[in-house]
Amino acid sequence: MAEQELVLKIKDLVVHYETDDADVHAVNGIDISIGKKRTLGLVGETGAGKTTTALSILNLVPNPPGVIKQGEIYLDGMNVLEMSSEELQKMRGNEVAMIFQDPMTALNPVMTVGDQIAESIELHQHISKKDAFEKAKEMLKMVGIAETRATDYPHQFSGGMKQRVVIAIALTCNPKLLIADEPTTALDVTIQAQVLELMKELISQKEMSMLLITHDLGVVAEVCEDVAVMYAGRIVEKGTADDVFNHMRHPYTEGLFESLPNLKERGEMLVPIQGLMPDPSELPPGCAFSPRCPYATEACSQQIPKLESVEGSETHFVACRAYEDPKFTLGRNRNGQ
Amino acid sequence: MDSYSTKHVKSRTLFQETWRRLVKNKGAMIGMGFLIFLILAALLSPFIFNYETDVIGQNMSDRLMGPCATHWFGTDEYGRDLFARVIYGARYSLAIGVGSVTIGLVVGTVLGSLAGFYGGPVDSLIMRAIDIFYSIPNILTAVVIVSLLGTSTVNLMIALAFSCASSFSRIVRASVMTIRDQEYVESSYAMGLPTWKIIAKHILPNCLSPIIVQITLLIGSTIISASSLSFLGIGVPAPAPEWGALLSAGRGHIRDASYMCVIPGLAIMFTVLALNLLGDGLRDALDPKMKK
Repeated sequence: MAEQELVLKIKDLVVHYETDDADVHAVNGIDISIGKKRTLGLVGETGAGKTTTALSILNLVPNPPGVIKQGEIYLDGMNVLEMSSEELQKMRGNEVAMIFQDPMTALNPVMTVGDQIAESIELHQHISKKDAFEKAKEMLKMVGIAETRATDYPHQFSGGMKQRVVIAIALTCNPKLLIADEPTTALDVTIQAQVLELMKELISQKEMSMLLITHDLGVVAEVCEDVAVMYAGRIVEKGTADDVFNHMRHPYTEGLFESLPNLKERGEMLVPIQGLMPDPSELPPGCAFSPRCPYATEACSQQIPKLESVEGSETHFVACRAYEDPKFTLGRNRNGQ
Repeated sequence: MDSYSTKHVKSRTLFQETWRRLVKNKGAMIGMGFLIFLILAALLSPFIFNYETDVIGQNMSDRLMGPCATHWFGTDEYGRDLFARVIYGARYSLAIGVGSVTIGLVVGTVLGSLAGFYGGPVDSLIMRAIDIFYSIPNILTAVVIVSLLGTSTVNLMIALAFSCASSFSRIVRASVMTIRDQEYVESSYAMGLPTWKIIAKHILPNCLSPIIVQITLLIGSTIISASSLSFLGIGVPAPAPEWGALLSAGRGHIRDASYMCVIPGLAIMFTVLALNLLGDGLRDALDPKMKK
């Protein structure tokens, strides 16, 4: 993809949380890019560094203890990490908006939802309070909530409706990039589908790009065109949804899929990934997944594997040393496909 | 897409919700009733009484009369009508109470939110300074300040505002610290709001309930402190009929004309009691756990 068509480009980002007790390596050199009108799903377990990555894009990593050690984050060609605080305030909410995980706590309990939506419009578009409130009503209507409810308080809404309000707040200023940090995790399955459908619709309508952070592969399959799998602060596999879902290469990606129940073969046992994610303050020297990897060899624990193209593909990359042996294939790929 | 909910639910603001619960509390209602009466009395007293003749004008022929039909609360040693003086005195007590709490509120909120929001060295610096003030009995602080600035109503307010400021800053700091980490504060950063706006619009309004309760309780204790200072002779200067000063003036006649002490004393007591009843009622009404 050509450079100028990228909305977001993260280059070699390293973020540590430095406390007196430990130096937590949350993000360890990741590269991601999102094209115009593309949706990237960032998948990984809790603690893989997904949220830290998202906060870095807004330069909002809590400091202290968080420190962005190195890397460059380009939003439309501008390096976020070199912006002044005025530039950051202008960018946040206007060019990049973020949807947080828990709609229950993401709204201010003592402000009406209309005011909360209007606040962002007033701030970035410099229009009068009254006009902003009118626009806030339109936004509410767009996310499927009656305009008359603009003067209601968050506690008068259900979880799903609160998330709709949060989406309305995020989308009011037509940002180029929307970061959604597990937007459906706190919702019921039925509401999840509605909210995802709504997000998909609005994003294509407003021609935005999206970074969707989730641990739910179903959500990724539903919404995303590109997928990056993150493990212990590194991208282990990335590619288009088709690459990762149908031609997966990394043992960790395979593990994620094996952990999902299969509706077609009901009798089948789930195969969880053994063990736990390593302590991010004491990562193993080689591949961070090697202690849990069924295919791990001696070589895996010696050197950190690099992200390399799969069979010369331009979209599909994997970081696994097993592929140094040309005959290696994952168990899941051997039988079945 | 169809609308999620077209039926308009009857919405109640936090204020209406609190009011509804407060009305159910008898004690708070009695307290509030008394306070409204007192505030009206304070506001209207200049129209009812002539300050020069009724309140401070001496009338030696009527001196030391007990409560009777013409002088409901009796008269003092200079023949001044105590009823007029006590009602007029409400102006002083309420003005000093409200005035010093307001000064304390503004200063305390600013200091407390800075300390709570930024934490670290800013917090330590502000809070240790406040601890020093807190460790000295507030009457003593007030005595020192009044002696430095001289006795006047405004100086008395300033002196009493010191202790108000220190208790407000502690309360505000504690609330700000818990609210600072809420997700809606994080999301307002992500929206690009400047820090001062986040504090003013998203953090402080959520700290309001403990502040409101503290305001009512502190006005009460400030009125007592003000009266104590006037009793000691360093409060509102004579001949203004401040309640503490009335009490002090009656001290010499406590054997033969005890009403001179009892009546201003009761005025102080009922006012503070009313404020405390209202404060307790507000605390219950604002506590979401009491919601029925």
